Amino acid sequence: MTTVAFTLNGAPITADVQPRTHLGDFLRDNRRLSGTHLGCEHGVCGACTVLLNGAPARSCITLAVACDGADITTIEGFDHDGVMGELRDAFTREHGLQCGFCTPGMLIAARDIVLRLPAAGERRIREELSGNLCRCTGYVGIVDAVASVIDKRKPCEATADSVVPHVTAPALPRFTPVATQARPAASLPAEATRAPADEKTARQGWTRFDESFVIRKPRAAVWELFGDVPRVAACLAGAQVLSYDGKTVKGRMVTKLGPIAASFAGSAAIERNEADWSGTIIGAGSDSGSGSRTRGEIAYRLTSLDQDMATRVEVTVLYNLQGALAQFSRSGLAQEFARHLVGQFAASIGAQLGDDTLASRATGSSLNVGQLVWSVAKQWLRRLVGRTD
Amino acid sequence: MKAPAFDYVRPSDIGGVLAALQGGHAMAKVVAGGQSLLPMLNLRLARPTLLIDIARIDALRTIDDRGTSVRIGAAITHAELEDRDIAGCAMLRTVATGIAYRSVRNRGTIGGSLVHADPAADWPLALAALGATIIVEGKSGNRAVPADSFMRAAFQTRITDDEIVVAVDVPKLSPAARTGYYKFCRKTGEFPEASAAAVFDPVSRRARLYVGALSGPPQPLDNLATTIAENGITAITEAAVAAAVDPIAGHDPAERRMRRAAVMRALKDVFAS
Ligand SMILES: Cc1cc2nc3c(=O)[nH]c(=O)nc-3n(C[C@H](O)[C@H](O)[C@H](O)COP(=O)(O)OP(=O)(O)OC[C@H]3O[C@@H](n4cnc5c(N)ncnc54)[C@H](O)[C@@H]3O)c2cc1C
Ligand code: FES
Ligand code: FES
Repeated sequence: MTTVAFTLNGAPITADVQPRTHLGDFLRDNRRLSGTHLGCEHGVCGACTVLLNGAPARSCITLAVACDGADITTIEGFDHDGVMGELRDAFTREHGLQCGFCTPGMLIAARDIVLRLPAAGERRIREELSGNLCRCTGYVGIVDAVASVIDKRKPCEATADSVVPHVTAPALPRFTPVATQARPAASLPAEATRAPADEKTARQGWTRFDESFVIRKPRAAVWELFGDVPRVAACLAGAQVLSYDGKTVKGRMVTKLGPIAASFAGSAAIERNEADWSGTIIGAGSDSGSGSRTRGEIAYRLTSLDQDMATRVEVTVLYNLQGALAQFSRSGLAQEFARHLVGQFAASIGAQLGDDTLASRATGSSLNVGQLVWSVAKQWLRRLVGRTD
Repeated sequence: MKAPAFDYVRPSDIGGVLAALQGGHAMAKVVAGGQSLLPMLNLRLARPTLLIDIARIDALRTIDDRGTSVRIGAAITHAELEDRDIAGCAMLRTVATGIAYRSVRNRGTIGGSLVHADPAADWPLALAALGATIIVEGKSGNRAVPADSFMRAAFQTRITDDEIVVAVDVPKLSPAARTGYYKFCRKTGEFPEASAAAVFDPVSRRARLYVGALSGPPQPLDNLATTIAENGITAITEAAVAAAVDPIAGHDPAERRMRRAAVMRALKDVFAS
């Protein structure tokens, strides 16, 4: 517990809070101010908007401890606020609310628009309100309500959105640019090669990508290693085999990408086809921390290269992610996450077989020792560095 | 969901932050605006054991005109940049205005955005195009990292776990300079699906064009930028943009089109008058 003191709706308060308590919960649970609504709790819906030092803030992604010394106003604190009075009337008049869930946040955002953008027109009002979601009214009434308050307050006929004078800048003259300095190559993962849509790729919500790497060792040696599940697992940073009976493996996988850390526990069925040097691993797991679940299929095939001096490993990964982690799968991030693991895997497999030409692959995508300190990252490193087999 | 338990400290200066980072806590993490970290805590995707609040450190909250550049403290919020006209740095205002929503901009910081290194975020793209420099401080002093190489990959940067970003140096543009910025969002204030930034300054002879919202850091389109600087608007053709963008834009036809269009529209800003 940490003691905080701040001004709440004009009155000084002191309270003991846990550091992890966000302001929204503090207001509702500790102060019984239930006008601040919680919808998404990750900053998207705007229902929890309050005023923090006079400016709107999302209370669900603001820590109560961080508000020490601040001035907080919730929807309950606007009784004597003129603009809020006008907005309340306008919302009633224009049918700006139905169930009222979004309304406290909507009103606080609207008040900010009226005061900060006294010439805002409909388009600008809509843009400014885009951070406050309403499930009922369809926004027309809300926008009309805000517009009517702005219009009433406009001094004379300042036309909508015309505050910024339109300046005509001279055209850009032609010039020869100075050479750009060479930049260190950033690791932009090659985009996934899209395989032709088959029955599997067509599965809703499944992601597929194909990767391949070459190990400078004979195919039989690679095949043998791939058959040794505990040894293969040792090549997957963060993987831990709990049990293995030749067909089914139970284990745990600790993964991390930047700030995201997850620990999946699960099991997988393993099949190998000697005849065409291929295998599949079909598994499922869940991360109890984030409540995310994943299902996946990994298929690999080994091809012999350079008179069997080298082996190409082709891997097709097909997976589906549900739960909190899935929210971060936009812009190919989940793919990046998986590819990062495959890159490390390739390097470790190579290292196991005494081929370190792949080691450079691992450095770009290696554990993020740089950004944050995580005990999992430390464990990973210890295991990788200290591995004796 | 609710955040996991952690300890919280609010040092009064940078020295205190660096000391706390080195204090031996298993998972110590800086928090500035919390607008990226708190959602991750609430979803339990991040599980630090100590948060070090830097949002109110005075030394991180200044905007200094240094003649040829402007130094912006890491804890300056997007809203503060939205509300300010900084001579020679007009693009900062344009970019800040388009980030998320006002109630997120009121708390989210430029330093936090850079270190979070979301590939679709606005500052990593804009500051790369502007040729900015990121000032990083650790126990052995300051170092400067060019913004266009600061981000290594998605959510990965070039700072180490005992360093913090203290400021960003943005070179001032001449009055003759023209800039462009465009991002495609399904909904206003969301992270973009494709984005692009362009900076052309005939006085300092800089021509920089970047495409963002990829699966890794923003990528430069140097050749296209040079051709445009030398030949003017006639160099901007569908084919030239496609040739520059497609090799890095992946195989999804819709994504490619969005990325080409983002570049086109950023360039349109540059040549609009
Ligand atoms: C609904 C929503 C929509 C959004 N839309 C956009 C968008 O369109 N475009 C966009 O660019 N962003 C968007 N964001 C992100 C927002 O801009 C964040 O403010 C920003 O990315 C992070 O800044 P912060 O100060 O809040 O960082 P925090 O959340 O406090 O920290 C983020 C990370 O950076 C680290 N960190 C912070 N400051 C420093 C420092 N000085 N030195 C070292 N490490 C540091 C933290 O340890 C953490 O790992 C959105 C956020 C939300 C909630
Ligand atoms: S509950 Fe805070 S923004 Fe949704
Ligand atoms: S009035 Fe019901 S959510 Fe907006």
